[in-house]
Amino acid sequence: MSFFKIKRGIYPLVAIAASLFLLVFGLVTAKSERCSYFLLCAYAWLFIFGLYKGCLRILPAFIIIGGAFAGIFYAVTDSPLSALSMANRFGSLFLAAAIGMSVESVALTRNLSQLRAPRAITLGMLISTSFVPVLRGEIKRIREAVKTRGAGSVYNPKVWYRAFLIPLVMRLVKISDTLSLSVETRGFSLGKEKYSVYKNEIFSWTDLLFIAGLTVGGVLAVVL
Amino acid sequence: MEEKKKNDIADLLIENLQNSDAEQEASAELVSTASATEDKPREELSENKIFQKYKIKDIVFLAIITSCTLVTGAIMPLLVNIPLFGIIQLGLALQFSVFPVIGMMKVRKVGSLLFMSIFISCFLIFMFPPMALLMLCALIVEILVVLIFKGYKNDWACVLAGTLYMPMTVPFLYMYYNVFYSVSGDEKKAVSMFLGGTHSGVIIGMTIAIVALCFVGSVVGMLIGRELRKAGVLKK
Repeated sequence: MSFFKIKRGIYPLVAIAASLFLLVFGLVTAKSERCSYFLLCAYAWLFIFGLYKGCLRILPAFIIIGGAFAGIFYAVTDSPLSALSMANRFGSLFLAAAIGMSVESVALTRNLSQLRAPRAITLGMLISTSFVPVLRGEIKRIREAVKTRGAGSVYNPKVWYRAFLIPLVMRLVKISDTLSLSVETRGFSLGKEKYSVYKNEIFSWTDLLFIAGLTVGGVLAVVL
Repeated sequence: MEEKKKNDIADLLIENLQNSDAEQEASAELVSTASATEDKPREELSENKIFQKYKIKDIVFLAIITSCTLVTGAIMPLLVNIPLFGIIQLGLALQFSVFPVIGMMKVRKVGSLLFMSIFISCFLIFMFPPMALLMLCALIVEILVVLIFKGYKNDWACVLAGTLYMPMTVPFLYMYYNVFYSVSGDEKKAVSMFLGGTHSGVIIGMTIAIVALCFVGSVVGMLIGRELRKAGVLKK
């Protein structure tokens, strides 16, 4: 029973590999019915391995966007095959996203640091992933400021440039200055100094089973 | 008599003290001028180098700008499935020129575009794997910029890089479809899907539109950079 309670996430690099595999497989075999079956099995496989949160989150988006595109293509080409290929493409894309969502940016950074990846890359990746909510907050604040000043609609190019884009970039520069100081204060450097990773990401048999299952499924979908 | 002697000694002491203050000031001035004359050429030398070392603040800013580019480029997964030549590039042209140019205007070091491309590719690869080719495009653009402008010191070097960056993915995507789908023997179908089954007029028109949009975006990025420099936020 403990097998079905995988609380520790999938090994980050395995998750990325699986995500890429699904995406490429979906792109290449989108036009076949087998691809649909494979994607359904992969969905169930992800559920088994504890990625149910991501799986449930992608479902409404897939139904709306995938359904809309499949419908448009069916209407334009009058061929169920092109609608199926569109649905398969979006299916593989959303499944890859579900796996991607399960990987915490901190875990990925830790994993890459463990493998002695260049620190500039790990730091950059960590910041670019974790900065999105901050960016969203800043955009909201600047929009509110535009409204308060009565500068006009943000969709007006002049207002967008003067009252939105320039303040946004200015805030970004200031945040980056503060953030870089804070990173340096915490002893982070780009040199060849030794560093410790206190919580190691461990590759386990469940990770092996996860990726092996997907690969075998992909091979069977092509061969059978 | 004794008072006079005392006054003389006091005067001498004051004079001595003043002399020593003046000496100290003079020596401090000498030291500062010497250090300034020593540091100035060193700074100039490091600034004149084509390849400069990256600092943490550079990486942090590039990562933040990448995050901006990614957020605004989130429409890509939807564009991927529209069978029209260059639709992805057209949809991303503005975002992928404005923000990278701002990044290059702040971090005027060779490799800044490549760094941004690495960060961007790490995420775009999950939306559309061929977008990893952005790294190759960035590498070629960087080489061109180094050959023509010897770095990003000139604002127009940033504009050139921003203008060429996204349009360069078009020929690479064509090559990708030709090579990648040759495994399944569907390369002709894939290429025709990439071209959208459209005639040459549409292809030429779209290519011109992509380049024009990228140029406009790059100029907007440069103008923002200049305004920020005027405001003292970006230091040259």
